[in-house]
Amino acid sequence: MKILLAEDERDMSAAITAVLKHFDYDVDAVYDGVAAVAQASKKAYDCMVFDIMMPRLDGVEALKQIRQSGDVTPVIMLTAKAEVDDRITGLDAGADDYLTKPFAMGELLARLRSLTRRDRRFTKSRLSYGTVELNVEEQELSCKSSIRLSNKETKLMKLLMLNAGKAFETAALAERIWKNEADVDHGIVWVYISYLREKLEAIGADVQIVGHKGGAFILTAAETAD
Amino acid sequence: MDSIYGQYAYTLQLVMADIVSHIREYSEEEKDKHGEMTYEHLIYRIKSDDSMREKCDRKGLPQTAYAALYDIHDAIGLRIVCRFIDDIYVNIEHIRDIPGCSVIEEKDYIKNVKPNGYRSYHMIIRLETPYEDVTGQVPGSFFIEIQLRTIAMDSWASLEHQMKYKHDIQNPELIVRELKRCADELAACDVSMQTIRNLIRGGR
Repeated sequence: MKILLAEDERDMSAAITAVLKHFDYDVDAVYDGVAAVAQASKKAYDCMVFDIMMPRLDGVEALKQIRQSGDVTPVIMLTAKAEVDDRITGLDAGADDYLTKPFAMGELLARLRSLTRRDRRFTKSRLSYGTVELNVEEQELSCKSSIRLSNKETKLMKLLMLNAGKAFETAALAERIWKNEADVDHGIVWVYISYLREKLEAIGADVQIVGHKGGAFILTAAETAD
Repeated sequence: MDSIYGQYAYTLQLVMADIVSHIREYSEEEKDKHGEMTYEHLIYRIKSDDSMREKCDRKGLPQTAYAALYDIHDAIGLRIVCRFIDDIYVNIEHIRDIPGCSVIEEKDYIKNVKPNGYRSYHMIIRLETPYEDVTGQVPGSFFIEIQLRTIAMDSWASLEHQMKYKHDIQNPELIVRELKRCADELAACDVSMQTIRNLIRGGR
């Protein structure tokens, strides 16, 4: 699992990073709010951990910008114990949880597990990218014309559209979309990417999925891909 | 009553037999090369006398052989029903290459789906033949309407056709919406099967 950690105190950041890595999390550490927003738009994370007090842009402002861009990744805010207002503004800005400092690492780990376990209840039922629209409820993909998708195709398309421009490795897609099936053959990812590619073409889409079998895949606008 | 086609009634049968044999010929060639015919069903008919007269009336034309064979283009009608979407486009390219054939009109309702969900590829071709045509020319030309569909599109089209001509349906808007949903689901299956065939053939 990939974590984005935004904490300006280098020692604190190094300590958290070490513990998370020990528990097999992949951590990207940034040290201010501007870097946090930039990094969040470049890579898809499973969860983000933000300190509130950071230079250049504070954690709450950074979170607001990230939520405004349509990013629904769960976020834990690290707040000072005495500041109730911080917790209120943080949660209202779109944070899913908070931890007051000082905190026990065990608690951070438990809250990370809790957040990445949850259903994304607040995801929109209609997504769009370029001129392509996905009606998640109806499992319908439309552009110049419309076509229906199966359950897994819908999940895969939704993931790609929510993270347009971000790369997903085949293994990551197999884990996220086919998580309920034991020992799923990663070849299934290539088959479903192929289905989505043909369906996007069938409806006259101006977006495409770039990538090769077994590699990483990105949903991008058709003109800019090579 | 004499056929509206007059002296050309028999010629139409000959022309239809000609185009059918061209289509069968290229399909046999494809079968030799790739192991599969380019179509599942090849259906053809000369439009009945009644139908043609009714169409002339509808278009404000006189009920004459000239109207039927020059102004109207579907006296000879073919439907090519294929297993896969790509096969439709293979057939189209072969049809273009038929000697003496020119494509007068074509409409791709597969890429430009009709609002009700109808998918199909329509072509009007003009075939040069050794026979005299309705303008008195020899060698003469005859129009032929060709519809190309997948099996799924064809099933859907006949259901939709039935629905159009039944006047006592309860909740017609609901039926129309559900038919559209079916059309899109069938299209999804057509595309998926095409994808699987590509994956199998590409050896990936």
